[in-house]
Amino acid sequence: MPEYQLKAVFLFNFAQFVDWPEEAFANAQAPLVIGVLGEDPFGAYLDDLVQSERIGERPIVIRRFRRPQDVIGCHILFVSRNQAAHFDRIAPELKVRNLLTVGDTDSFNRQGGLVRFVTEGGKIRLRINAEAAKRCGLTISSKLLRWAILVTPEKG
Amino acid sequence: MALQFRHLPIQRKLMIVIMVTSGVVLLLTCAAFLGYEMVTFRQNAVRQMSTLGEIIATNSTAVLAFDNPEDAAEVLGALRADRHIVAAALYNKQGRLFASYSAEGREAEFPASIQPDGYRVEGDYMVGFTPVVQVKGATRLGTLYLRSDRKALTERLRLYGGIAGLVVLALSIVAYALSRKLQQQISGPILALAETAQAVSRRDYSVRALPQGDDEIGLLTEAFNHMLEQIEAKNAELEARVHERTMELEAANKELEAFAYSVSHDLRTPLRAITGFAEILLKRPADTLAPEARRCVELIQRGAGELDQLINNILAFSRLGHQALDCHPVDLAALSREVYEELRAALGARRVDFRVQALPQVSATPQLLRQVMINLIDNALKFTRSREQAVIEVGVRWQKAGAEPTFYIRDNGVGFDMNHADKLFGVFQRLHSAQAFEGTGVGLAMVRRIIERHGGRVWAEAVPDAGATIYFTLPEVEQLG
Repeated sequence: MPEYQLKAVFLFNFAQFVDWPEEAFANAQAPLVIGVLGEDPFGAYLDDLVQSERIGERPIVIRRFRRPQDVIGCHILFVSRNQAAHFDRIAPELKVRNLLTVGDTDSFNRQGGLVRFVTEGGKIRLRINAEAAKRCGLTISSKLLRWAILVTPEKG
Repeated sequence: MALQFRHLPIQRKLMIVIMVTSGVVLLLTCAAFLGYEMVTFRQNAVRQMSTLGEIIATNSTAVLAFDNPEDAAEVLGALRADRHIVAAALYNKQGRLFASYSAEGREAEFPASIQPDGYRVEGDYMVGFTPVVQVKGATRLGTLYLRSDRKALTERLRLYGGIAGLVVLALSIVAYALSRKLQQQISGPILALAETAQAVSRRDYSVRALPQGDDEIGLLTEAFNHMLEQIEAKNAELEARVHERTMELEAANKELEAFAYSVSHDLRTPLRAITGFAEILLKRPADTLAPEARRCVELIQRGAGELDQLINNILAFSRLGHQALDCHPVDLAALSREVYEELRAALGARRVDFRVQALPQVSATPQLLRQVMINLIDNALKFTRSREQAVIEVGVRWQKAGAEPTFYIRDNGVGFDMNHADKLFGVFQRLHSAQAFEGTGVGLAMVRRIIERHGGRVWAEAVPDAGATIYFTLPEVEQLG
């Protein structure tokens, strides 16, 4: 499976292993939004993947944002490489509080990103800044944390 | 089996009944428990396996979701703790084998495709599939496959079988001991009663069964004892009555004999006077007595002679009642020939075929047995007088092996009507007129009296005008060796 198809699946799977606070949604049926900031590496694959999926009663919607300030009503945000390169500058511009930021650049964690995809020996592994996620009001399932590598911005 | 059971002693029967009943109940109970245990154990095993599947599946969501087969193998490796799990595998969303586990020393074998969820028994194994679903999402991330051996079930069964066997054995011993003790409550009184009944059958009416309790056997014992009392009383009464009658009869008989004896004896004196004076008259010269008178005197003399013989016979007969027995072995065949030789002198020109078989020795008083043979042979000669060729046979036959010999004397004489056979041996009983055959009517009565005094029996068979047979039995002299 091509790398970004797998990463698309992971993005969707985060929706199952992360809990958002109630105020992150307008109501119980409100959709869960997966956003892509910057250049979209997934293409139509991501849209096809989530088309008929639901998390509980929530449908899943894919939105694409060009600029950080555009990011509104989003729960999972994949920050593409061109944007992630200077994520430490972008981050303060993100107005959404309970946002799970995901990226695949080497410095993503250090720059304040919550989840980073790491490719090791052809496999994709996760590095998660659990403490920062908690500060963002997100609860990441221990099952996920158990198999991920936990980092802090300093050690990231 | 059923037939053999019927012949067993009641104690054995009771014990068998108790043992079979308790044994069957015990076995059925054990079987029921074992069956119940097997079913519940199997259900439990399936449930436990499902639970285990759920746990492993729950722990496998993340590794499946984030495509981490190495960690998945670690998750499955936790199954090592359950030694009955022989194989496990995770399949991804697409149904492809994702990670696997197999117990040490086991050839790993995994189904190529996913089958419906749930657990079931397949041969010696229990296998099944659990969906791997993250609770929040409805999405199925993959499938867990588990395979466990059924050793737990067989181990449990063996354990329970062993326990059941021990329980059955122990309880059988207890039941045996108990039944051995308890059956005596029932068999004891019955055996005692049976023993009493056996004593009674040996004509001991004084025994009593020991009274036992108030149950049916107690009632039976009581009734039995009551019956015995009555029999004993009746028996004593009967014996007393028989004794009394015997005494009376003996007294009457003695009186009668004494009377007959004295009458006969007293008749002799006047009879001697009659014969004496008749003789004197007949000795006178022929011309002094008219021929008519001489014929009358001759008739008087002949009549007196007959009367004298009758008196002699009666005296002999009544003497038989007093004469003591003095038994010796007697050769009956020799005696018969001897008697026949003596009697033959009076036969004149008659043709008689007298045959004697080989006869066993008998135990008897010789003079009395001689009298018997004289009377019987004399009778036979007398009633064959009209035959051109008389045939008289003395013989023996055995009713059955080892029994008393039955002797007989058969003739081809005039015989008699069997309707009168019962009168034959009575005193003064005559079946033929004195004109046809002379005689006193005492001969066969004497025969009977002598034979009966020796402990034998006498009877007769006859066909009118074809001959008669007189039978008698006597104790045989025991053969030496």
